[in-house]
Amino acid sequence: MGKKVLIIDDSSTMRKIVTRSLRQAGLDFDTILEAGDGQEALQLLAKESVDIILSDINMPNMDGIEFLRQKSANAAIKSIPVVMITTEAGADILAEAKSLGAKGSIKKPFTPEQVSEVLGGLM
Amino acid sequence: MDFAQAIIEATSDVFNTMVMLEAAPGMQATEKTTAFNDAISGILGFSGDIKGMLRINCPNQVAMAITGSLLGMEVEEIDDDVRDAIGEIANMIAGGLKIYFTRHNHIIELSIPTAIGGQSYTVHSLANAEWVAVPFTLAAGVMVVELQFVGLK
Amino acid sequence: MSWETHIADATVEIFSTMLMMEVSSQPPLTERIKSHQDSVTGMVGMAGLYKGMLAIHAPSQVAMTITGNFLGLEVDSVNDDVKDAMGELANMLAGSIKAKLSDNSKDIQLSIPSAVCGDSYSLDYQPQQGSSMVPFESAGGRFLVELQLEQQT
Repeated sequence: MGKKVLIIDDSSTMRKIVTRSLRQAGLDFDTILEAGDGQEALQLLAKESVDIILSDINMPNMDGIEFLRQKSANAAIKSIPVVMITTEAGADILAEAKSLGAKGSIKKPFTPEQVSEVLGGLM
Repeated sequence: MDFAQAIIEATSDVFNTMVMLEAAPGMQATEKTTAFNDAISGILGFSGDIKGMLRINCPNQVAMAITGSLLGMEVEEIDDDVRDAIGEIANMIAGGLKIYFTRHNHIIELSIPTAIGGQSYTVHSLANAEWVAVPFTLAAGVMVVELQFVGLK
Repeated sequence: MSWETHIADATVEIFSTMLMMEVSSQPPLTERIKSHQDSVTGMVGMAGLYKGMLAIHAPSQVAMTITGNFLGLEVDSVNDDVKDAMGELANMLAGSIKAKLSDNSKDIQLSIPSAVCGDSYSLDYQPQQGSSMVPFESAGGRFLVELQLEQQT
Protein backbone atom coordinates (compact mmCIF):
# COMPACT_ATOMS: atom_id res chain seq x y z
CA MET A 1 0.00 0.00 0.00
CA GLY A 2 1.02 3.56 -0.59
CA LYS A 3 3.61 2.73 -3.20
CA LYS A 4 4.96 5.22 -5.70
CA VAL A 5 6.07 4.52 -9.27
CA LEU A 6 7.92 6.76 -11.72
CA ILE A 7 7.34 6.31 -15.46
CA ILE A 8 10.01 7.79 -17.74
CA ASP A 9 9.10 8.06 -21.43
CA ASP A 10 9.29 10.90 -23.94
CA SER A 11 5.84 10.07 -25.32
CA SER A 12 3.03 11.23 -23.05
CA THR A 13 0.78 8.73 -24.82
CA MET A 14 3.14 5.91 -23.94
CA ARG A 15 3.14 7.08 -20.31
CA LYS A 16 -0.66 6.85 -20.37
CA ILE A 17 -0.51 3.36 -21.87
CA VAL A 18 1.88 2.21 -19.14
CA THR A 19 -0.34 3.81 -16.49
CA ARG A 20 -3.38 1.97 -17.87
CA SER A 21 -1.42 -1.33 -17.87
CA LEU A 22 -0.34 -0.85 -14.26
CA ARG A 23 -3.93 -0.25 -13.27
CA GLN A 24 -5.14 -3.32 -15.17
CA ALA A 25 -2.31 -5.38 -13.75
CA GLY A 26 -3.87 -4.68 -10.36
CA LEU A 27 -0.66 -3.12 -9.08
CA ASP A 28 -1.58 -0.94 -6.21
CA PHE A 29 0.28 2.32 -6.68
CA ASP A 30 -0.89 5.31 -4.71
CA THR A 31 1.03 7.74 -6.81
CA ILE A 32 2.19 7.58 -10.41
CA LEU A 33 4.84 10.15 -11.27
CA GLU A 34 5.92 10.89 -14.83
CA ALA A 35 9.08 12.26 -16.44
CA GLY A 36 9.78 12.98 -20.12
CA ASP A 37 13.46 12.02 -20.07
CA GLY A 38 16.28 10.90 -17.79
CA GLN A 39 17.21 14.41 -16.75
CA GLU A 40 13.68 15.27 -15.71
CA ALA A 41 13.57 11.98 -13.81
CA LEU A 42 16.77 12.78 -11.87
CA GLN A 43 15.42 16.22 -10.95
CA LEU A 44 12.20 14.63 -9.75
CA LEU A 45 14.05 11.96 -7.77
CA ALA A 46 16.00 14.68 -5.96
CA LYS A 47 12.79 15.72 -4.19
CA GLU A 48 10.47 12.70 -4.39
CA SER A 49 11.08 9.18 -3.21
CA VAL A 50 9.65 6.35 -5.30
CA ASP A 51 9.49 2.57 -4.93
CA ILE A 52 10.07 1.55 -8.50
CA ILE A 53 10.94 3.12 -11.86
CA LEU A 54 9.81 2.13 -15.36
CA SER A 55 11.98 3.66 -18.07
CA ASP A 56 12.06 3.90 -21.86
CA ILE A 57 15.52 3.63 -23.46
CA ASN A 58 15.52 6.02 -26.44
CA MET A 59 14.74 9.51 -25.19
CA PRO A 60 15.93 13.06 -25.89
CA ASN A 61 18.30 14.98 -23.57
CA MET A 62 19.14 11.98 -21.43
CA ASP A 63 18.37 8.45 -22.54
CA GLY A 64 17.53 5.48 -20.35
CA ILE A 65 21.08 4.10 -20.30
CA GLU A 66 22.64 7.40 -19.21
CA PHE A 67 19.88 7.76 -16.62
CA LEU A 68 20.83 4.34 -15.20
CA ARG A 69 24.49 5.36 -15.14
CA GLN A 70 23.83 8.58 -13.23
CA LYS A 71 21.35 6.94 -10.92
CA SER A 72 23.79 4.17 -9.98
CA ALA A 73 26.37 6.83 -9.11
CA ASN A 74 23.98 8.55 -6.73
CA ALA A 75 23.86 6.81 -3.34
CA ALA A 76 20.49 8.36 -2.42
CA ILE A 77 18.62 6.72 -5.31
CA LYS A 78 20.95 3.89 -6.26
CA SER A 79 18.81 1.16 -4.74
CA ILE A 80 15.47 2.01 -6.40
CA PRO A 81 14.71 -0.83 -8.84
CA VAL A 82 14.42 0.13 -12.52
CA VAL A 83 12.64 -1.85 -15.24
CA MET A 84 13.31 -0.93 -18.87
CA ILE A 85 10.51 -0.76 -21.44
CA THR A 86 11.69 -1.43 -25.00
CA THR A 87 10.34 -2.04 -28.48
CA GLU A 88 13.30 -3.61 -30.17
CA ALA A 89 16.40 -3.01 -28.05
CA GLY A 90 19.07 -5.57 -28.85
CA ALA A 91 20.58 -7.98 -26.36
CA ASP A 92 23.67 -5.75 -26.10
CA ILE A 93 21.65 -2.74 -24.92
CA LEU A 94 19.70 -4.84 -22.45
CA ALA A 95 22.95 -6.34 -21.14
CA GLU A 96 24.35 -2.84 -20.68
CA ALA A 97 21.19 -1.79 -18.85
CA LYS A 98 21.52 -4.83 -16.61
CA SER A 99 25.17 -4.11 -15.88
CA LEU A 100 24.10 -0.61 -14.83
CA GLY A 101 21.61 -2.03 -12.37
CA ALA A 102 18.36 -2.47 -14.32
CA LYS A 103 16.32 -5.19 -12.64
CA GLY A 104 14.39 -6.32 -15.67
CA SER A 105 12.82 -5.37 -18.97
CA ILE A 106 9.39 -5.40 -20.57
CA LYS A 107 9.10 -5.66 -24.33
CA LYS A 108 6.28 -3.97 -26.20
CA PRO A 109 3.66 -5.17 -26.86
CA PHE A 110 3.04 -6.32 -23.33
CA THR A 111 0.02 -7.59 -21.39
CA PRO A 112 -0.90 -6.32 -17.92
CA GLU A 113 0.00 -9.84 -16.72
CA GLN A 114 3.55 -9.47 -18.06
CA VAL A 115 3.86 -6.10 -16.33
CA SER A 116 2.59 -7.62 -13.13
CA GLU A 117 4.98 -10.56 -13.43
CA VAL A 118 8.09 -8.40 -13.90
CA LEU A 119 7.12 -5.78 -11.33
CA GLY A 120 5.55 -8.13 -8.81
CA GLY A 121 8.84 -9.72 -7.90
CA LEU A 122 10.46 -6.36 -7.30
CA MET A 123 7.99 -4.85 -4.88
CA MET B 1 7.77 -16.23 -46.67
CA ASP B 2 4.09 -15.52 -46.11
CA PHE B 3 3.75 -11.76 -45.75
CA ALA B 4 0.01 -11.85 -45.07
CA GLN B 5 0.66 -14.32 -42.27
CA ALA B 6 3.40 -12.02 -40.91
CA ILE B 7 0.92 -9.11 -40.86
CA ILE B 8 -1.75 -11.22 -39.16
CA GLU B 9 0.61 -12.57 -36.49
CA ALA B 10 2.19 -9.20 -35.69
CA THR B 11 -1.12 -7.31 -35.65
CA SER B 12 -2.98 -9.93 -33.62
CA ASP B 13 -0.16 -9.98 -31.08
CA VAL B 14 -0.42 -6.21 -30.56
CA PHE B 15 -4.22 -6.25 -30.39
CA ASN B 16 -4.39 -9.24 -28.02
CA THR B 17 -1.78 -7.94 -25.62
CA MET B 18 -1.84 -4.14 -25.68
CA VAL B 19 -5.06 -2.95 -27.25
CA MET B 20 -7.37 -5.65 -25.97
CA LEU B 21 -9.90 -5.19 -28.74
CA GLU B 22 -10.98 -7.90 -31.09
CA ALA B 23 -9.54 -7.35 -34.58
CA ALA B 24 -10.59 -10.17 -36.90
CA PRO B 25 -8.32 -10.60 -39.93
CA GLY B 26 -10.09 -10.88 -43.28
CA MET B 27 -9.03 -12.11 -46.70
CA GLN B 28 -5.91 -10.53 -48.16
CA ALA B 29 -6.96 -7.42 -50.10
CA THR B 30 -6.78 -7.55 -53.88
CA GLU B 31 -7.26 -3.88 -54.63
CA LYS B 32 -5.31 -0.97 -53.25
CA THR B 33 -7.10 1.78 -51.42
CA THR B 34 -5.06 4.93 -51.65
CA ALA B 35 -7.55 7.72 -50.92
CA PHE B 36 -8.73 8.32 -47.38
CA ASN B 37 -11.27 10.66 -45.81
CA ASP B 38 -11.39 11.47 -42.09
CA ALA B 39 -8.79 8.86 -41.35
CA ILE B 40 -5.37 8.33 -39.78
CA SER B 41 -2.51 6.29 -41.20
CA GLY B 42 0.44 5.18 -39.11
CA ILE B 43 3.49 4.81 -41.34
CA LEU B 44 6.89 3.33 -40.60
CA GLY B 45 9.78 2.58 -42.96
CA PHE B 46 12.18 -0.33 -42.65
CA SER B 47 15.36 -1.40 -44.34
CA GLY B 48 17.93 -4.20 -44.43
CA ASP B 49 17.38 -7.52 -46.20
CA ILE B 50 13.93 -6.26 -47.12
CA LYS B 51 13.23 -2.55 -47.69
CA GLY B 52 9.75 -1.26 -47.34
CA MET B 53 7.00 0.66 -45.62
CA LEU B 54 4.38 -0.52 -43.20
CA ARG B 55 1.13 1.42 -43.17
CA ILE B 56 -1.92 0.99 -41.00
CA ASN B 57 -4.99 2.86 -42.18
CA CYS B 58 -7.77 3.60 -39.70
CA PRO B 59 -10.97 5.57 -40.18
CA ASN B 60 -11.19 8.16 -37.37
CA GLN B 61 -13.76 6.10 -35.40
CA VAL B 62 -11.48 3.07 -35.47
CA ALA B 63 -8.49 5.17 -34.43
CA MET B 64 -10.45 6.61 -31.51
CA ALA B 65 -11.67 3.15 -30.41
CA ILE B 66 -8.12 1.78 -30.51
CA THR B 67 -6.74 4.75 -28.58
CA GLY B 68 -9.51 4.59 -25.99
CA SER B 69 -8.83 0.95 -25.30
CA LEU B 70 -5.05 1.37 -25.41
CA LEU B 71 -5.08 4.26 -22.96
CA GLY B 72 -8.06 3.11 -20.91
CA MET B 73 -9.93 6.37 -21.32
CA GLU B 74 -12.75 7.93 -23.28
CA VAL B 75 -11.60 9.41 -26.57
CA GLU B 76 -14.05 11.68 -28.37
CA GLU B 77 -11.90 13.56 -30.83
CA ILE B 78 -8.77 13.18 -32.89
CA ASP B 79 -6.09 14.67 -30.67
CA ASP B 80 -2.39 14.15 -30.04
CA ASP B 81 -3.14 11.01 -28.01
CA VAL B 82 -4.84 9.40 -31.01
CA ARG B 83 -2.04 10.36 -33.40
CA ASP B 84 0.65 9.13 -30.98
CA ALA B 85 -1.27 5.93 -30.31
CA ILE B 86 -1.64 5.07 -34.00
CA GLY B 87 2.07 5.77 -34.50
CA GLU B 88 2.84 3.53 -31.55
CA ILE B 89 0.60 0.74 -32.92
CA ALA B 90 2.50 0.94 -36.24
CA ASN B 91 5.75 0.80 -34.28
CA MET B 92 4.72 -2.29 -32.35
CA ILE B 93 3.34 -4.11 -35.41
CA ALA B 94 6.63 -3.35 -37.18
CA GLY B 95 8.48 -4.78 -34.16
CA GLY B 96 6.45 -7.97 -34.57
CA LEU B 97 7.20 -8.11 -38.30
CA LYS B 98 10.89 -7.73 -37.52
CA ILE B 99 10.70 -10.79 -35.28
CA TYR B 100 8.80 -12.77 -37.93
CA PHE B 101 11.34 -11.83 -40.62
CA THR B 102 14.27 -12.67 -38.34
CA ARG B 103 12.73 -16.10 -37.80
CA HIS B 104 12.90 -16.49 -41.58
CA ASN B 105 16.51 -15.28 -41.68
CA HIS B 106 15.80 -11.78 -42.98
CA ILE B 107 17.18 -8.98 -40.86
CA ILE B 108 15.49 -5.57 -40.96
CA GLU B 109 15.94 -2.29 -39.09
CA LEU B 110 13.04 0.03 -38.33
CA SER B 111 12.65 3.78 -38.82
CA ILE B 112 10.40 5.90 -36.60
CA PRO B 113 6.61 6.05 -36.90
CA THR B 114 4.73 8.93 -38.49
CA ALA B 115 1.01 9.48 -38.13
CA ILE B 116 -0.69 11.04 -41.12
CA GLY B 117 -4.22 12.22 -40.70
CA GLY B 118 -6.75 14.47 -42.29
CA GLN B 119 -10.03 15.08 -44.00
CA SER B 120 -8.77 14.08 -47.37
CA TYR B 121 -5.44 12.60 -48.35
CA THR B 122 -3.95 10.07 -50.73
CA VAL B 123 -1.01 7.80 -50.10
CA HIS B 124 1.32 6.57 -52.78
CA SER B 125 4.22 4.14 -52.92
CA LEU B 126 6.72 3.02 -55.51
CA ALA B 127 4.93 1.44 -58.46
CA ASN B 128 7.32 -1.50 -58.61
CA ALA B 129 7.12 -2.39 -54.93
CA GLU B 130 5.32 -5.55 -53.91
CA TRP B 131 2.17 -5.00 -51.96
CA VAL B 132 0.33 -7.09 -49.37
CA ALA B 133 -2.64 -5.81 -47.35
CA VAL B 134 -4.87 -7.45 -44.77
CA PRO B 135 -8.09 -5.88 -43.45
CA PHE B 136 -9.00 -6.31 -39.80
CA THR B 137 -12.58 -5.89 -38.65
CA LEU B 138 -13.14 -4.21 -35.31
CA ALA B 139 -16.45 -3.29 -33.72
CA ALA B 140 -15.81 0.33 -34.74
CA GLY B 141 -14.93 -0.41 -38.36
CA VAL B 142 -12.21 -1.78 -40.60
CA MET B 143 -8.48 -1.14 -40.23
CA VAL B 144 -6.14 -2.13 -43.06
CA VAL B 145 -2.53 -3.13 -42.42
CA GLU B 146 -0.40 -2.83 -45.54
CA LEU B 147 3.16 -3.75 -46.39
CA GLN B 148 5.03 -2.49 -49.42
CA PHE B 149 8.49 -3.81 -50.02
CA VAL B 150 11.29 -4.51 -52.44
CA GLY B 151 14.46 -6.51 -52.24
CA LEU B 152 13.34 -9.98 -51.35
CA LYS B 153 14.16 -12.52 -54.02
CA MET C 1 21.33 21.42 -34.56
CA SER C 2 24.05 20.97 -37.19
CA TRP C 3 21.67 18.65 -39.07
CA GLU C 4 20.09 21.81 -40.43
CA THR C 5 23.32 22.58 -42.25
CA HIS C 6 23.27 19.07 -43.70
CA ILE C 7 19.66 19.57 -44.83
CA ALA C 8 20.50 22.91 -46.44
CA ASP C 9 23.64 21.60 -48.18
CA ALA C 10 22.00 18.42 -49.44
CA THR C 11 18.92 20.25 -50.74
CA VAL C 12 20.80 23.04 -52.52
CA GLU C 13 23.14 20.48 -54.10
CA ILE C 14 20.46 18.08 -55.28
CA PHE C 15 18.24 20.82 -56.68
CA SER C 16 21.12 22.41 -58.57
CA THR C 17 22.50 19.16 -60.00
CA MET C 18 19.39 17.09 -60.63
CA LEU C 19 16.75 19.72 -61.23
CA MET C 20 18.78 22.67 -62.42
CA MET C 21 16.91 24.81 -59.91
CA GLU C 22 18.42 27.46 -57.71
CA VAL C 23 17.06 27.14 -54.20
CA SER C 24 18.08 29.05 -51.10
CA SER C 25 17.69 27.84 -47.56
CA GLN C 26 15.92 30.04 -45.02
CA PRO C 27 16.43 30.00 -41.26
CA PRO C 28 15.10 26.75 -39.74
CA LEU C 29 11.61 27.01 -38.30
CA THR C 30 11.47 27.18 -34.52
CA GLU C 31 8.18 25.33 -34.54
CA ARG C 32 7.43 22.61 -37.05
CA ILE C 33 4.47 22.98 -39.37
CA LYS C 34 2.39 19.84 -39.15
CA SER C 35 -0.65 20.66 -41.25
CA HIS C 36 -0.48 20.90 -45.00
CA GLN C 37 -3.17 22.16 -47.38
CA ASP C 38 -3.32 21.22 -51.05
CA SER C 39 0.21 19.83 -50.87
CA VAL C 40 2.39 16.86 -51.71
CA THR C 41 4.78 15.24 -49.23
CA GLY C 42 7.54 12.84 -50.26
CA MET C 43 9.00 10.80 -47.42
CA VAL C 44 11.47 8.05 -46.66
CA GLY C 45 12.38 6.22 -43.46
CA MET C 46 15.93 5.95 -42.12
CA ALA C 47 17.01 2.99 -40.00
CA GLY C 48 20.13 1.71 -38.29
CA LEU C 49 22.57 3.74 -36.22
CA TYR C 50 20.24 6.69 -36.68
CA LYS C 51 16.56 6.14 -37.14
CA GLY C 52 14.20 8.70 -38.47
CA MET C 53 12.18 10.06 -41.32
CA LEU C 54 13.01 12.59 -44.00
CA ALA C 55 10.15 14.45 -45.66
CA ILE C 56 9.84 17.14 -48.32
CA HIS C 57 6.60 19.10 -48.30
CA ALA C 58 5.51 21.33 -51.19
CA PRO C 59 2.24 23.03 -52.15
CA SER C 60 0.79 21.19 -55.18
CA GLN C 61 1.78 23.97 -57.60
CA VAL C 62 5.39 23.93 -56.36
CA ALA C 63 5.49 20.12 -56.46
CA MET C 64 4.37 20.26 -60.11
CA THR C 65 7.11 22.77 -60.96
CA ILE C 66 9.72 20.65 -59.16
CA THR C 67 8.54 17.52 -61.00
CA GLY C 68 8.55 19.36 -64.33
CA ASN C 69 12.19 20.26 -63.82
CA PHE C 70 13.08 16.87 -62.42
CA LEU C 71 11.54 14.84 -65.24
CA GLY C 72 11.85 17.44 -67.99
CA LEU C 73 8.20 17.46 -68.94
CA GLU C 74 5.06 19.50 -68.58
CA VAL C 75 3.05 18.68 -65.48
CA ASP C 76 -0.42 20.11 -65.03
CA SER C 77 -1.87 17.99 -62.25
CA VAL C 78 -0.72 16.09 -59.17
CA ASN C 79 -0.40 12.77 -61.01
CA ASP C 80 1.70 9.68 -60.29
CA ASP C 81 4.76 11.39 -61.78
CA VAL C 82 4.55 14.11 -59.14
CA LYS C 83 4.15 11.63 -56.28
CA ASP C 84 6.99 9.45 -57.59
CA ALA C 85 9.22 12.50 -58.08
CA MET C 86 8.60 13.82 -54.56
CA GLY C 87 9.24 10.35 -53.11
CA GLU C 88 12.42 10.04 -55.14
CA LEU C 89 13.56 13.51 -54.04
CA ALA C 90 13.07 12.49 -50.41
CA ASN C 91 15.10 9.38 -51.16
CA MET C 92 17.97 11.41 -52.69
CA LEU C 93 17.95 13.96 -49.88
CA ALA C 94 18.03 11.23 -47.26
CA GLY C 95 20.83 9.47 -49.15
CA SER C 96 22.90 12.64 -49.20
CA ILE C 97 22.24 13.47 -45.53
CA LYS C 98 23.02 9.89 -44.54
CA ALA C 99 26.44 10.19 -46.20
CA LYS C 100 27.08 13.39 -44.21
CA LEU C 101 26.14 11.69 -40.93
CA SER C 102 28.29 8.61 -41.32
CA ASP C 103 31.17 7.46 -43.50
CA ASN C 104 30.02 3.89 -43.26
CA SER C 105 27.09 3.55 -45.67
CA LYS C 106 25.82 0.50 -43.81
CA ASP C 107 25.30 2.50 -40.60
CA ILE C 108 22.10 4.09 -41.87
CA GLN C 109 19.80 2.46 -44.37
CA LEU C 110 16.83 3.89 -46.19
CA SER C 111 13.37 2.41 -46.54
CA ILE C 112 11.43 2.75 -49.77
CA PRO C 113 10.01 6.21 -50.41
CA SER C 114 6.35 7.03 -50.15
CA ALA C 115 4.24 10.08 -50.90
CA VAL C 116 1.15 11.64 -49.41
CA CYS C 117 -0.97 14.33 -50.98
CA GLY C 118 -4.31 15.93 -50.43
CA ASP C 119 -6.44 18.93 -49.63
CA SER C 120 -5.76 18.78 -45.94
CA TYR C 121 -3.57 16.44 -43.94
CA SER C 122 -1.16 16.54 -41.05
CA LEU C 123 1.97 14.62 -40.09
CA ASP C 124 2.79 13.85 -36.48
CA TYR C 125 5.75 12.19 -34.85
CA GLN C 126 6.18 11.06 -31.31
CA PRO C 127 8.61 13.30 -29.50
CA GLN C 128 12.04 12.74 -30.97
CA GLN C 129 15.56 13.66 -30.11
CA GLY C 130 16.15 15.69 -33.22
CA SER C 131 13.60 17.50 -35.28
CA SER C 132 14.42 20.11 -37.91
CA MET C 133 12.34 21.86 -40.52
CA VAL C 134 14.08 24.04 -43.06
CA PRO C 135 12.18 26.23 -45.57
CA PHE C 136 13.58 26.83 -49.04
CA GLU C 137 12.77 29.52 -51.57
CA SER C 138 12.89 28.82 -55.28
CA ALA C 139 11.63 30.51 -58.45
CA GLY C 140 8.81 27.95 -58.37
CA GLY C 141 7.83 28.80 -54.80
CA ARG C 142 8.50 27.78 -51.25
CA PHE C 143 8.86 24.25 -49.90
CA LEU C 144 9.96 22.57 -46.65
CA VAL C 145 12.44 19.83 -45.88
CA GLU C 146 11.95 18.07 -42.58
CA LEU C 147 14.20 15.64 -40.73
CA GLN C 148 13.22 13.68 -37.65
CA LEU C 149 16.18 11.74 -36.39
CA GLU C 150 17.24 9.90 -33.28
CA GLN C 151 20.69 8.45 -32.71
CA GLN C 152 20.55 4.96 -31.30
CA THR C 153 22.19 4.31 -27.95
